[in-house]
Amino acid sequence: MSEPIAVLDRVSYMYPRSRDLVLRDITLQVRRGEFLGLIGPTGAGKTTLCLTLNGVVPQFYGGRFFGHVTVAGLDTLEHPISTLAQHVGAVFQDPETQLIATSVENEIAFALENIRVPRDEIRKRISRALTAVRLEGTEARHPHELSGGQKQRLAIAAALAMQPDLLVLDEPTSQLDPIGTQEVFATVRELNRELGMSIVMASHAAEEMAEYADRIALLSSGGLVTVGTPDEIYSQVDLLEEHHLRPPQVASTFHSIWRGKADAARVPVRMEPALQELEALSSECSLRAPEMLAKPVVHGGTPLLSVRDLGYVYPDGTEALNGVSLDVHEGEYVLIIGQNGAGKTTLVKHFLSLLLPTEGAVAIGGMDSRELVVSDLAKRIGYIAQNPDSQIFSNTVGEEVSFALTNLGYSAEVVRARTQESLTAMGLLEARNRHPLSLAKGDRARIVIAAVLAMQPDTVIFDEPTTGQDFRGARYILDISRELHAAGKTVIVITHHLYLMPEYADRVIVMGKGTILLDAPIREAYQRVDLLRSTFLTPPQAVLLARHLGQIVGQQLPLLTPAEVASCLECPPPEGG
Amino acid sequence: MATIMMRIRGPRCFRIPADLCYNLMDLRVLREQASRVAGRALLQGGVGMSEGPTGEEREVTFLGGAAIDGAPIAYIVVLAAVVAALALLPFSVILASGGSFPVSQGVYPLVGWVLGPIAGAVATAIGRTLGVFLAPHTASVPAVTVWAALVGSFAAGSMVVGGKRKNWWIPLTLLFVVEILLFAGRAVLQNGVGVYAAVAGSFLNWSAILLFALPTRTLFARWIGSKELGRVALGLFFGTWMAAGLTHLTGTVLMYFLFNWPEEVWLLLIPIIPLENLFRCVIGTVIGTGVIAGLRAIGLVKPEHAIY
Repeated sequence: MSEPIAVLDRVSYMYPRSRDLVLRDITLQVRRGEFLGLIGPTGAGKTTLCLTLNGVVPQFYGGRFFGHVTVAGLDTLEHPISTLAQHVGAVFQDPETQLIATSVENEIAFALENIRVPRDEIRKRISRALTAVRLEGTEARHPHELSGGQKQRLAIAAALAMQPDLLVLDEPTSQLDPIGTQEVFATVRELNRELGMSIVMASHAAEEMAEYADRIALLSSGGLVTVGTPDEIYSQVDLLEEHHLRPPQVASTFHSIWRGKADAARVPVRMEPALQELEALSSECSLRAPEMLAKPVVHGGTPLLSVRDLGYVYPDGTEALNGVSLDVHEGEYVLIIGQNGAGKTTLVKHFLSLLLPTEGAVAIGGMDSRELVVSDLAKRIGYIAQNPDSQIFSNTVGEEVSFALTNLGYSAEVVRARTQESLTAMGLLEARNRHPLSLAKGDRARIVIAAVLAMQPDTVIFDEPTTGQDFRGARYILDISRELHAAGKTVIVITHHLYLMPEYADRVIVMGKGTILLDAPIREAYQRVDLLRSTFLTPPQAVLLARHLGQIVGQQLPLLTPAEVASCLECPPPEGG
Repeated sequence: MATIMMRIRGPRCFRIPADLCYNLMDLRVLREQASRVAGRALLQGGVGMSEGPTGEEREVTFLGGAAIDGAPIAYIVVLAAVVAALALLPFSVILASGGSFPVSQGVYPLVGWVLGPIAGAVATAIGRTLGVFLAPHTASVPAVTVWAALVGSFAAGSMVVGGKRKNWWIPLTLLFVVEILLFAGRAVLQNGVGVYAAVAGSFLNWSAILLFALPTRTLFARWIGSKELGRVALGLFFGTWMAAGLTHLTGTVLMYFLFNWPEEVWLLLIPIIPLENLFRCVIGTVIGTGVIAGLRAIGLVKPEHAIY
């Protein structure tokens, strides 16, 4: 067994002004040269654990700390963060919060200059770091000109240039499109394999973690539940579900096929073994008509939102939309997908008159958006922005939710009743007197949703609502969207998490480079694998499994979910099950 | 234990029944240990916990991080940027010398309360200097503007209730008394401004000195440190009146030596100056309440000399 790079010995921690432990007696070793994945539901302590590895917890935050953390032989409570930073690189969820310089090369040089690395050495390290993350040729570009995936890779490069023994990444892919996610995972894996760098990564991306990690540590309520290989952990579907975690879809599919009776060791957790297992199963199982989700309702009549030949150019000259035309009818549930920078958010901002067309026209309820006032539209269309913090400014959760209602002149009684209703719907009633910033990011997103719901708009737009949420949190929000839809509201959702959407959306609009590439029912859209890939999207594993199964049996199987795939296979009880 | 600490301000040492002698530092350690033992007992009986932490409790300190007077550099940079950004926004015109007052004047005291006197003065000076270049229209005489802002934050940061810096207000008060004597004295004795005009025209300044010299200084500090946001807002409002009044005095005394405005201008300023300061109080209260509530909620490490 290789020597550990980091050792946590009975580590417990409590933030200042809190009486709850966020880490509880964690004993864990990170081996030199390994890729350790951290998984767990929101509030499990993943971020705090990451921050203990570079001394930010507790040195910066304060609070009460128990036990010992040693990284590269240094006790993290006895050495300054600046010293620890030379051994531990850190990359966080939002690359924007880590990028500060005006060019890519200055970004990488910043930390090196601060520890007085000689100029020639800095130049060499910039070149090496950019090569490692495949960003060569971008040295002179402004970091904000890069795509989301590129920004995250730049943040990794900046950490990498410090030549750390350990690279810690906390949810580095949650804001990225699927291809961007794979790029980051592949880059990190390469650093791990080629340079022998030890990696600790917290992530909800189950499919990628199963593919790339050497070991997985499962945290829950601040405690370490179990540690094992991805096969050992992700094949225990029941254990994951117990902790509100999502297994890779291939594991869910086979778990369902065998009705949970199979030996966990036989449940594949990666795509390749899953395809082989499927081929083996196809000879021993019988195929039956799959149970598919209901077909979408076809809507007609005057569109609620109508876009004709819409073009939009940002003041800096970036062409974000070009020739976009679509209609959204009352009561539809529309999913908008596409790569980072495809124009999704720009498009929906036109529905609220937050942006006005450079070319073409947008009609809302039959009226040209140029003639409508944003404050009037706000009553009819609720917009939940990607970053909840950009919509939060009040001192308590309750004030935040009631803010718009009060300003729109509703009576105190109505404000109180609607605020109460919204807080209850989002599970925030007990937190109504707390400061919004004292809650986790996932909970802050729910505050914004509650504030929008309190307005009782006819149309609700969710822009990346599942970012930063664990599986339970994501489902919770999407279930709310389904309830709104069932109540007759029009719902538009933008997300990269395609695997979450088959149970919710009727219609999918696929965008790429500012245009609409496809507008189709979800079952049809998810089958267009090549088109999705052209806009940096990958279909869920269940879709790929169904396509492979279809090829084996010579039949088209437009299935979307693990349950649908499992429902079309009648298999004998598994051996060892 | 806290009661004991209150009683032993004078002597460095006192005798306890077990004939053990502790100096003040020993008592602090003892108090922390007692608090930890109590805390551990609380943890062990905490909701949902079968057992408390088994690891040894460690002393948590911020080691060698970049800081000025106990305030992390990152905080200083952020608040300097806020001051610079608010310098872009004018809220009132300046009679006599021209230009306009920037909104940043409402937050100089806040910077002192959040960072402490030295780090607060540094942050304000950096932010205001940047503001001079970014928005020259809000800095009629740049050096005076920066100096006055710096002194305002320093004075606000010196509003401590106890500790080693509890007497810093004395030399500061002397400085402000000298300033007002120079300002009003020059007006009356040299420039022939009537006594009524000079007293009424400097109402903001002498009221600020009085509030600073009297126990109201520590009262406002306690309010700002209160857990109740209503009291925090009150402390911010009156504290801003006081500290912004001192900033105004520090700048005006120098400006008056440059411009020597006549009695007609003094008379005109009598209602305007307090009104302008009310705006500063509103700005300081609105921004300050949000900032302090947010900082407390986030739970980031508190600068050593912060009073919030």
